Amino acid sequence: MTSIRRFCCDDLLRFAHVNLDHLTETFNMSFYMTYLARWPDYFHVAVAPGHRVMGYIMGKVEGQGESWHGHVTALTVAPEYRRQKLAKKLMTLLEDFSDQMDKAYFVDLFVRASNTPAIKMYEKLGYVIYRRVLRYYSGEEDGLDMRKALSRDVEKKSTIPYKRPITADELEYD
Amino acid sequence: MASKFGLAGGIPERRVRPIWDAVDSRQYKAALKLSVALLQKYPKSPYALALKAVVLERMGKGEEALSSCLEAKELLHSDTGPFLDDLTLSTLQIVLQRLDRLDLATSCYEHACNKYINNLEIMMGLFNCYVREYSYVKQQQTAIKMYKAVGEERFLMWAVCSIQLKVNYSSGGEKLLPLAEALIKKHISKSSLHEPEALTMYISILEQQKKFDVAFEVISGDLGSLILREEDKLRMKVFLLPLIVFHFSFIFSPFCLGRPDDWETFLQYLSLLLEEDIDWSRHATVGSCTECISSSKSKLSQEEFDIRLSSALSFVEELQKDAVKNCTRGPYLAAVEIERRRSLNGNCNNSKVVEALVNYFERFVYLHELNEEEKAELLDKISNKFAVYSKVHTLGRTVTVFRIQEICSSMWKKEIQDLETTTLKKMELFCLHLSKNLEQQESMLGEELLFMATNTLVLLFWRTKNLGYLLEAILVLEFGLHIRRHVNLLKVLLVHLYSFLEILPLACDWYLTLDVKNILLETISHHILPQMLISPHFNETSDLLKESLKRMTTRVILVILLAWHTAIATTLGYAIEFVAFHIKWKNSSQYLISKLDSFILDLKISANNLDELEKVLEGANYGLKPLELAQPDKIEKLTCNIDSQTRPWWSPRTTVNYLSMPFDEESASVCFGPKPCIHKTNENVGPDKTEFERKSLVPRIVYLSMQAASPTPKENKETTNGGGSSATIADELGSLLERYARSIGFSFNDAIDAILSITTGENSFKEFSDIVSCISFAIFVNAWNSSLNHTEKAGQKAISWKVVDKLITTCVREKLSSMGPALTSTGSEVLVLVQLVNESLSWHILIIQSFIKSVIPLGKKKKKSGPADKQNINIPLLKAMQASINCVSSAIGEVHKWVLDQVNSTEDHDVDILMSYLTTDGNSVGPGKILNVLKESLGVVEESEVGDRIYDMVKSWSPASVLRNIARAQHKVLTDFSQICDSKLRVLESLKQSF
Repeated sequence: MTSIRRFCCDDLLRFAHVNLDHLTETFNMSFYMTYLARWPDYFHVAVAPGHRVMGYIMGKVEGQGESWHGHVTALTVAPEYRRQKLAKKLMTLLEDFSDQMDKAYFVDLFVRASNTPAIKMYEKLGYVIYRRVLRYYSGEEDGLDMRKALSRDVEKKSTIPYKRPITADELEYD
Repeated sequence: MASKFGLAGGIPERRVRPIWDAVDSRQYKAALKLSVALLQKYPKSPYALALKAVVLERMGKGEEALSSCLEAKELLHSDTGPFLDDLTLSTLQIVLQRLDRLDLATSCYEHACNKYINNLEIMMGLFNCYVREYSYVKQQQTAIKMYKAVGEERFLMWAVCSIQLKVNYSSGGEKLLPLAEALIKKHISKSSLHEPEALTMYISILEQQKKFDVAFEVISGDLGSLILREEDKLRMKVFLLPLIVFHFSFIFSPFCLGRPDDWETFLQYLSLLLEEDIDWSRHATVGSCTECISSSKSKLSQEEFDIRLSSALSFVEELQKDAVKNCTRGPYLAAVEIERRRSLNGNCNNSKVVEALVNYFERFVYLHELNEEEKAELLDKISNKFAVYSKVHTLGRTVTVFRIQEICSSMWKKEIQDLETTTLKKMELFCLHLSKNLEQQESMLGEELLFMATNTLVLLFWRTKNLGYLLEAILVLEFGLHIRRHVNLLKVLLVHLYSFLEILPLACDWYLTLDVKNILLETISHHILPQMLISPHFNETSDLLKESLKRMTTRVILVILLAWHTAIATTLGYAIEFVAFHIKWKNSSQYLISKLDSFILDLKISANNLDELEKVLEGANYGLKPLELAQPDKIEKLTCNIDSQTRPWWSPRTTVNYLSMPFDEESASVCFGPKPCIHKTNENVGPDKTEFERKSLVPRIVYLSMQAASPTPKENKETTNGGGSSATIADELGSLLERYARSIGFSFNDAIDAILSITTGENSFKEFSDIVSCISFAIFVNAWNSSLNHTEKAGQKAISWKVVDKLITTCVREKLSSMGPALTSTGSEVLVLVQLVNESLSWHILIIQSFIKSVIPLGKKKKKSGPADKQNINIPLLKAMQASINCVSSAIGEVHKWVLDQVNSTEDHDVDILMSYLTTDGNSVGPGKILNVLKESLGVVEESEVGDRIYDMVKSWSPASVLRNIARAQHKVLTDFSQICDSKLRVLESLKQSF
């Protein structure tokens, strides 16, 4: 059973078992703090009975004009709580915020090109591979920029795949 | 910073920019050159001085930077001073904050505010200064001034936020709440509210005054439209409504229906339904970060209770119908909770709990409520249900059954053979499912098997004390990690198992592979640091500690404050939370204990060289710095930020390891059994305050003991180090030793009695949980006694040099006689010896060294007659000291001999010894079977089945090489320890020559 609520500072002190997953990045404190302070609606945690952190999503909204979009910065679920569609719930929450509250055109995210289970999951959630970002992860592994159009992008222009791979320097937003 | 340009103090931007650019690119020398040149051109410019201070501070020249700031401040305060602008002030503020002189920055801003009334920019700067100083009242007053000046809603909210901080984090602020409410009301009547955060703040103020009805009215009214998401608005109402009306289900039902999986909401619902007594204040606004926990019993009559619970059950059953479509599991757990509540209220019918559990068994169970028969019944039912599932999910289902077996069949009571069999099954299954066709997600199920197999093997060790089981557990984990290198939760188990076997190099290596960084250093370094701190591996420990401290510095605190500034402009609710987090972080015991550990480690590292040691002591202000960290008021505020949920069941806290204790079923049911449902969070695990206090005392006590034992204390340092005359040293040392005794669990006199009883043979060391601190205490008291004359000592039971000698000899003898081979030692057998040599005996040697140094001036060491010809030397003391040197030398010599005996064993021989623990010899019970299963299963693995990667991994894995690594690492532990013993013996030898 799950409670999904806004992330709070104390959650940083009890998410170790989630972040010990090797694909989950642990950022520095200012990173989390900035997200909490600036985009609190995009930072949610799923908590099991007993206060155990099951997973969380951290994101933001940014861009200009038709590039105004929600971005998933981190999405992770602890191994013992996987296969319960928790990631889907968290993603839906972020998409709803982007769509209804911030009237964004699309939601995007980056995923390691080797992370097949995650790519499959995002595809199931309606995301498409928009473009490949060469050596995005620590200058070693390619990242896939995946997107899902929101209701404002009626023609789904935002998700028309980009013709060529790009480098991290060419990214519009960091 | 480079963006903060413009005309500052009349200086053109083109002259300033290169300096900031140089600072930003860390070209500090160039920056200094430029700033000096700028200052020559503008000698009266406070901004130029502030810039120079920025550069100097970055170069590490704190004092010069401060002097430059003070000069700037003087100019700002002079009557003929220049125009004060925010850029100059904020630049000064940046430097002063880094120099920990916020008071000066505040004073500059205060002066500027008085000079230029209603300058908004400067007032905002002043407000921020008060924020950094936690001056809530001044914050509030400044915000009100800004609000009065421009009438903006945000400044009013800053004031309200300050009031809330005052109410929450200091005393006597409650009376300000009506003021906050009145201010908001007045503002609403004039211009309404415009920001959702302002409304949240208003509701929060009302809640804090328990004006729930007003709060509900406000949300339901026009202002409610500020909360854009209906769900958020509903949530706020849900928390408020029950407090003003009794019939709540009409609002709860749609809410729960919309979120059938929300545990928190369901608990609220049940508590309200059963009219349990809960403190609801501020739940609507801050409830998102607190779990509402019901522990109180219902006030309802039994009959009414049953009726309401039945209605809840009907409601939940409705939710279940919906939930099936959405695959949610919550309502099923809700049904279990309802039956549990029924049971708790005295209407015990566990068959209904079983029924609810069977419907919902996979994830979260309340098995502690069931008796053995009921658990068996549950298992049967689950197994029967599984029989009908398709083979596609075999692995997952089997893992689930294993899991439930582990939880509900009281594993710790089972026959050894049964435990072995279940472990074998898990490992066989794991080997069977090494398949390339298994999806990555499904591989995790295999890891679950490894996890469970390890748990059982550790349990077997605890019960039988047969080391073979622990070695098998290590082999299981090593094998799993050989196949998949990234399973960090398995690594954590290995760190603990290797630590328990005192093989810290391997524990440390595995810990490093976790790649712990940033905030995790605060929350999970407890897995390795405590063991490393008592190890002989100084370099590795120092690296770990430095890395931790680097990340846990005050910079983190600044980061939280910076976030505060962002939050106050956008999300005021978070601004308050950030302050709470800031306070928590500032008082973090991890951070402060690491600082203390760092002081003590430096003392240990430099203990063989008196000059080096004096430098270390000087750096710690002769032990006063550590003492300051542990002032009583600071100890009271200590917070614990560790994430103890990642610890293994056999060591739930750093100070507890069940494997070191005899096995008993009661303890096993607590640590290995299912946890009694929920609400046991790591926040309940507080910091170890006594350990903190003891560590804070050590550097100062060491310093004072060294002084006390010397016939000529260094009078010249009186003013700087708090040392001084013999009398003042004795007084201070006496009072610190009383605190030290308390920190090891005794009164001063009881500690002395206990020590004396050991030396007379009435008692044994086994009575003491912390032998090392106990011996250190005796050593310090002896040094203290040496500083007192006999009259002062009258009436006191003396700890003399002879007592200390006897204590050391007894301790070493007792320890060595009970030691087995180091290779097979567990707990902290070798490490206690290491600690004894590195701490207690080191302090004792230092005290003697200090004495000798004080009576033999540098360069006169070789004098034939030695120190005894000095007139002021106390001859009996000298003799006692000489005897003590011989005693310590002999004690360390014995330890060293033991260590060398262990080191001399060959690696092959060590591997053979370890392997002998894993040889079954045809016995029906005992370790070794897992190894056989691994060998057999892996011998027949086909490349076509498992894929080339796993095939290569399987073929390249060798249990013997794991055992060889253990032997090699153990050798390193002993070699490092041997070197320490050797160095101590050399110091003692040179001391002998002094006489």
